[in-house]
Amino acid sequence: MIPLKPKSNRAPVGNIPCDNTTLNLLKANDFVAKAIRDRLPDMLVVNVCSSPGSGKTTLMQETGKRLAGKLNMAVLVGDPETERDAIRMRDVGINALQIVTGGMCHIEAQMILQALDHIDLNHVDLLFIENVGNLVCPAAFDLGEDYRVTVLASTEGDDKPKKYPRMFHTSELLLVSKSDLLPYVPFSVEAVTKDARDVNPDIEVMTISSIKGDGLDAWCDWLLEKVNQKKQSKLTTQKAY
Amino acid sequence: MHEISLVRNIFRTIEEQFPESAPETITCIYLRAGELSNVQPILMQNAFEAVVQDDPRYKRAKLEVEITPILVYCETCKKTSEVKQYKFVCACGLPTKNVIQGDELLITKVEFLN
Ligand SMILES: [Zn+2]
Repeated sequence: MIPLKPKSNRAPVGNIPCDNTTLNLLKANDFVAKAIRDRLPDMLVVNVCSSPGSGKTTLMQETGKRLAGKLNMAVLVGDPETERDAIRMRDVGINALQIVTGGMCHIEAQMILQALDHIDLNHVDLLFIENVGNLVCPAAFDLGEDYRVTVLASTEGDDKPKKYPRMFHTSELLLVSKSDLLPYVPFSVEAVTKDARDVNPDIEVMTISSIKGDGLDAWCDWLLEKVNQKKQSKLTTQKAY
Repeated sequence: MHEISLVRNIFRTIEEQFPESAPETITCIYLRAGELSNVQPILMQNAFEAVVQDDPRYKRAKLEVEITPILVYCETCKKTSEVKQYKFVCACGLPTKNVIQGDELLITKVEFLN
């Protein structure tokens, strides 16, 4: 029989300031995010966030077509209820797995870690996480990604950076999508760039149209460059040992 | 914001930290949320009440939410400034992303019955 471990923690009485052991509510998530990074040392992981209806799934489809033959890509698709988006991607030959969040408004790192066991990641160079359509909640959850990309459709209005500061603050790249509609909507790329840089001085901004193809080459070049950088940084660390 | 799951997360975190204490003995939970953490006190209070209805072990507990301003530290002029209207710029005019306060989400204190 295993003897019970004596318990030394006395039940606290009165005021217990946690100042010395401040309880970080995102600690568990951050811990799992680190495990994901450790597990994927030479695969580029990109967390794609947006409001609903920004055209993320279409962007993933077009990106997959353009990068075919250049690198191997896989997509984890977060959706509160349905598997529709992953089916749309598999229809065009993209290796995709749905993460049904069960009504939850964001993906947590634990869901990604579990999903890694259910998708074939052999020879995959680039793993996209298509987050749940929401610019608030996903901003707080590190998913072990290397880059966070926010997609903002020209039809949504250019006042989003100040409304959802954390998302823009934590993104490395802003993709203004549906640029083919820019002549018809009151959306200023210049104004959104200025506001996004108020919130995040380092953010890059690109304009794309998945329908017309404008800007997709620049976006794919950006991805290829980051994939190569990730692989090289792994090589450098290996050399250092 | 996912306030409901946040409140559940608060309870889970406290139960892990104080495994010997019954939740029934908790009288107040102090939460510190940075302005950048997307937490709104009124929505947190509503979610707290909703979760306690399902989990009456916490019915004695109150929730106090403190929102802290965003502070950035400028490496160039070595000064700390407060970020207003989400404009991440130092008082000297240089943009900076070096947040030293304002994105945290912490339980800072838990009060138990004497
Ligand atoms: Zn300065």
